Amino acid sequence: MTALLSIRDLSVAYRRDGVEVPALKGVSLDVLEGERLAIIGESGSGKSTLALALAGLLAMGTEIGGMIEWSASQSQTPRSFAPLSGLPAISPARGEIGSFADGSSPATLEISKSSDDGSISPLAGEMPGRAEGGVPERRPSAIGNTQAPLLGSDIGFVFQDPSSSLDPVMPIGKQIAEVAHTHLGPGWKGAYAKAKTLLERVRLPNPDATIHAYPHQLSGGQKQRVAIAAAIAAGPKLLIADEATSALDTIVQAEIVALIRRLVSEDGMTLIFISHDIALAASLADRIAVLRHGELIELGETSQIVNAPQQAYTRALLDAHLGLNAEPLLDRQDTSA
Amino acid sequence: MSVLAVSNLTKRYHRGGKPFAAVDDVSFEIGPAETLALAGPSGSGKSTIARLVLRLIEPDAGRIDFEDADFLTMSGAALRARRARLQMVFQDPLAAFNPRATVARVLNDPLRVHGIAPRADRPRRIAALLERVGLDAGLAQRAIHEISGGQRQRVAIARAIATRPSLIVLDEAVSALDVSVRGQILELLLDLQRQERIAYLFISHDLGVIRAVAHRIFILDAGRIAESGDARAVIAYPQSSVGKALVAAMPKLVRDRP
Amino acid sequence: MKRLRRLLHTPEAIAGALILALLIAMALAAPLLFPGDPQAIAGPALLPPFRDWSLPLGTDRLGRDVLAELVHGARTSLAVGLAAAAAALLIGAVVGTLAGFAGGLIDEVLMRMTDAFQTVPSFLLALAFVSIVGPSLGVVVAAIAISAWTGPARVARAEVLSIRERDYVAGARVIGMHPLGIAFREVLPNALPPVLALSSVIVAAAILTEAALSFLGLGDPNRVTWGSMIAEGRTVLRTAPFLSIVPGVALVLTVLGVYLAGEGVVESTAVRRSLS
Repeated sequence: MTALLSIRDLSVAYRRDGVEVPALKGVSLDVLEGERLAIIGESGSGKSTLALALAGLLAMGTEIGGMIEWSASQSQTPRSFAPLSGLPAISPARGEIGSFADGSSPATLEISKSSDDGSISPLAGEMPGRAEGGVPERRPSAIGNTQAPLLGSDIGFVFQDPSSSLDPVMPIGKQIAEVAHTHLGPGWKGAYAKAKTLLERVRLPNPDATIHAYPHQLSGGQKQRVAIAAAIAAGPKLLIADEATSALDTIVQAEIVALIRRLVSEDGMTLIFISHDIALAASLADRIAVLRHGELIELGETSQIVNAPQQAYTRALLDAHLGLNAEPLLDRQDTSA
Repeated sequence: MSVLAVSNLTKRYHRGGKPFAAVDDVSFEIGPAETLALAGPSGSGKSTIARLVLRLIEPDAGRIDFEDADFLTMSGAALRARRARLQMVFQDPLAAFNPRATVARVLNDPLRVHGIAPRADRPRRIAALLERVGLDAGLAQRAIHEISGGQRQRVAIARAIATRPSLIVLDEAVSALDVSVRGQILELLLDLQRQERIAYLFISHDLGVIRAVAHRIFILDAGRIAESGDARAVIAYPQSSVGKALVAAMPKLVRDRP
Repeated sequence: MKRLRRLLHTPEAIAGALILALLIAMALAAPLLFPGDPQAIAGPALLPPFRDWSLPLGTDRLGRDVLAELVHGARTSLAVGLAAAAAALLIGAVVGTLAGFAGGLIDEVLMRMTDAFQTVPSFLLALAFVSIVGPSLGVVVAAIAISAWTGPARVARAEVLSIRERDYVAGARVIGMHPLGIAFREVLPNALPPVLALSSVIVAAAILTEAALSFLGLGDPNRVTWGSMIAEGRTVLRTAPFLSIVPGVALVLTVLGVYLAGEGVVESTAVRRSLS
């Protein structure tokens, strides 16, 4: 498998009251095309920072070092249209993040630049027709070959709390249609048709009515379904779910995980699943990366991480999991007493 | 003899003009040094029951007997005095404290309010409380927002035990904690239960945690009790549809050698 | 030090702070700079400014030193402005906290009272109060305060309504704290920031109201105030306009200084809050 995303020596530091607080220290990691990668860690491990860095969502004034290389070329996505003329068959599109002093994230700059290009894409007009065919949408990730991935059309992002990531005063249909409209440009009518299809795909009841509903009329799980629909509206290659189920109860969590699993396999997306829950990660992912204090301490196949962890910390995380087969603490206490 | 006896508790709200029962005719008892877990999906009424039992909200019907006295008819100073025996630990330890407070002030409040120790003796009492929950006494002067989440939850437990309660309501008290910290907090709670004979009303959506610490479980669905019984038996062989759904939804970690 | 630097992070805030510092220095130093009664006759009447360097801003109709009056007037203006604003904020915060925290009948009664005060034009209220009780410094402060507390009360109530639903307020109830203790120890301090954000507007308005009252002859007759100086100059406005212009400019600068410095404080606290 080829790497969709190569992270090399990525370091991120936040500035707080003039003091630099490192959040990621020299993380290097390849995200393979089509895989489901879980990134797990406890609070302060840097897992969310990594997700935000990949999506170019880090706040202004964050210090970034190292490199994120996005190498999604058209030839690697068989369902997409032919590559633009003049481009070689394999053309790694690079979004480089060099070592920069205090300033805005260069990835953010790149992304705002490329979003202009995206809206005038000559292929854009043909998108809605393909949506009806049920074919996974693919848009050439960038017109040029030296651009960072574009949030929305290349990367879909699902946040932890859908009540704050959705606009409370905009009908949910419009929030989804807006993504399609911005990145695919099928016009509003086409975008709304796409939004309806997406609401069906994320299994929201009665899409014809729900499309006009506001977020507060939906339950937490339904809101997260809407957020997922918006994240995949422009047919991204990579879906990043940042603790997307941890604000939900166990039953809804299981449903959302099943939904993500189905959508990822139907669309052939690559998934980065950020979680604090090693059991949940293991139930979904092909590979697991363990972060601790901003460092990548272990990376491996799920079965290897679960059955033969190399690091004591990973083993401690596994042992701390309270599953339905664990020995109850109550007994341990009683016998020790 | 029970610490808390709740009978036919009902609380109704209005949603879109229509009344609906958030808690519908719920009855249960908790004995001394017993942990009773309330489980259920969100919206099943677990947190509403917690707030009713603590009289943070008033029920529409039902009866609550706490330490063999009618808790619902108490008011004013009598109610405030009785609150010393019935404490709570919240899910988010940061939201549970005044954002301006220091650890010392948080622990001083219950001692002051209930006149538990003379003013001069309180710093010593605060240090003892911190040590009881496994924290360094030097933490007292730190601001609440400066300490870690696990430390904050220990401070919350220290505040809850400051007034020597017979019952503590734990509302998702370990859900927001890291797994490594969660285990330590659960051990601390069990240790306190053995030493001080405290009963817990343990509210959680996580059956794994409940199975680890609870004696009995009540599974709620839409404000009603769907099933109840010995925690491990119910979780091993759930009878109700919501119980089965909760068990099925637990992520399973299958390890060759645990 | 860090806090001060953050406070003075815009040119407007620096200008405001400078003006205020100058005024406060002037007010504090008044008895040293101009010992004795500023209302004593110091020279010939209606001497224009910049003629006699012992009387740089000239003299008024009765031959009193305009600069001495101006400097002593700063004392009154600032003292009345700050005292009235402090009283208004205190009353407003207490009323708003009680109304928001207690709810129900108490809320109804307190807010209808607030409505009643707010529907009467505040200046008329102050005017009526002073004309009934009689002019003195304390009465003027009280008059301005009762006409200005309604704004802070509404802001405090709105903030308290959101704070009282937080977990830590429930936690204080669980501990068994008395409701008044919860309202004033736990809720009020956390509801204060948006209320204090009003202070610059209230201080500026209080200084203007005080000047307007003195202009109408309802200020403390034993003190020089900028308002009474403007009123004094009004009778000779054509022949000696400087008598009204000088205290008028002082008034404008003071209000501007208070406002700019107040905005600086509000912005710096907003920055701090967004950082944390």
